[in-house]
Amino acid sequence: MKVGDYEILEGLYYTAEHEWLKAEPELVRIGITDYAQKNLHEIVFVDLPKPQMKANQTQSLGTVESVKAVSDIFSPVSGTVVSVNEKLLDSPELLNREPYDEGWIALLRPDRLAEELPKLMNSQQYAELLTKLAEKR
Amino acid sequence: MDGLPLKVTHFNEYHRAHGNLVEYAGFEMPLWFKTIVTEHLAVRNSVGMFDVSHMGRIFIEGSDAERFLNHITANNVATVQPMQAQYTTICNEKGGIKDDVIFIRITADKFLLVPNASNREKDWTWVESHSSAFDVDVRHVSDEVAMIALQGPRAYETLRKASTGEIDKVGRFRATEITINGIRSLASRTGYTGEDGFEIFVYDSPVDRPHKAISVWNSLLESGREFNIEPCGLGARDTLRLEAGLCLYGNDINEETTPLEARLDWVVKLDKGPFIGRDYILKQKTEGVKRMRVGIKLLERGIPRPGHDLQANGLPVGFVTSGTFSPILQTGIAIGYVPPDYAKEGTRLKVKIRDKLADASIVNFPFYNSEKYGWRRKQ
Repeated sequence: MKVGDYEILEGLYYTAEHEWLKAEPELVRIGITDYAQKNLHEIVFVDLPKPQMKANQTQSLGTVESVKAVSDIFSPVSGTVVSVNEKLLDSPELLNREPYDEGWIALLRPDRLAEELPKLMNSQQYAELLTKLAEKR
Repeated sequence: MDGLPLKVTHFNEYHRAHGNLVEYAGFEMPLWFKTIVTEHLAVRNSVGMFDVSHMGRIFIEGSDAERFLNHITANNVATVQPMQAQYTTICNEKGGIKDDVIFIRITADKFLLVPNASNREKDWTWVESHSSAFDVDVRHVSDEVAMIALQGPRAYETLRKASTGEIDKVGRFRATEITINGIRSLASRTGYTGEDGFEIFVYDSPVDRPHKAISVWNSLLESGREFNIEPCGLGARDTLRLEAGLCLYGNDINEETTPLEARLDWVVKLDKGPFIGRDYILKQKTEGVKRMRVGIKLLERGIPRPGHDLQANGLPVGFVTSGTFSPILQTGIAIGYVPPDYAKEGTRLKVKIRDKLADASIVNFPFYNSEKYGWRRKQ
């Protein structure tokens, strides 16, 4: 589905800081949304978390940077980083091109997914947030 | 500035239609049109065009014009011939930089001074208040004269095709009168990118009746089309000047920084006679500076930003005043200040980027290889 120019994928979970989370068996995959990448514009650098790093929900895992701006990647849930998308180091533009696919950022082993998932938005709720943000402009 | 309506330049309608807008120095300006890197590379490899009308334009005219400018600036105005430009600093009484500017000597008795956008009103107040002791007439014409920067290795050809006049005889830091589409303009072979190029002043074109300025803008775009000219925003302007090692007023220099600390020694002519700030600068020259402006290149991934600490042997030694990702070097670069002991080329430092210490090295300006890029490049 789309809100304005911004693609939203159904079946994913979203944060108010524009990260997405995809629940996979045992693990969760995370990244930044189409809205986040379009607002950062041309992404030139990603500071990825280190594998084995532990993060609490909403804690910063790293940064995504354009020439002009720095944006934190906030962990959508608590857990341990299992692997990161190292392609982003040499090709940060993947975040602009395919934020939901090739531009994924990290795989996490969640600590308490059942407890924390309800704090995130589903695609419908995230679409409502983007609609509100568009109205404010 | 909150709540005040933003000021606009002659090209605001174009920016609104094609650009991504930001507020800068009280003006509504484009940050980029396509992307910062696209525009940056257009200027390094071919030609780009910038609206720089947010900068100031002040005419200084009269029999004392040279004497007055020599009083308020650090460089020697007497060495500047008509239709020649000079880069200089305006200092306060304590030698701190009020602004770094260029001026163009139009005739023996007439100068066009170009303040930074952020200092437009401050400089005008300073110029006007100090002019009363001299036989000069000063006029603030920022809103009557538009200003366009055409920059890059194809800037010359772009302007030559679009104009009548003798730009083929105009060397670096020289100027000439031209017409573009029949519109009278001044072309000065100067800029803020490190590249060859021109700054074009479109006379008699008020902001509220900008048709002459827009006609010049469109003519240059049309002329540059065969070179894939890009209109460029403030984002590329900043990355280009940083790669060239040029100061951004407010970031790299301010009223607390002297030209010696900023490594602008070459614009300070202490033997030319008295000027505002000279005594303090002379004293500092004798005693030596405690900190110096340097270029810093990251040796690993990361982007330094203003305010980041610089460390040596685990101790803070200075800080970053400007930093970005260099599209030419494909790495993080910065301008900052360190004590002279750490300012030598090749000195290893760490930049504290949030919770990470990144390896970096002191490098000379410009950051790029000047045999391949910039106005000195070998063709």
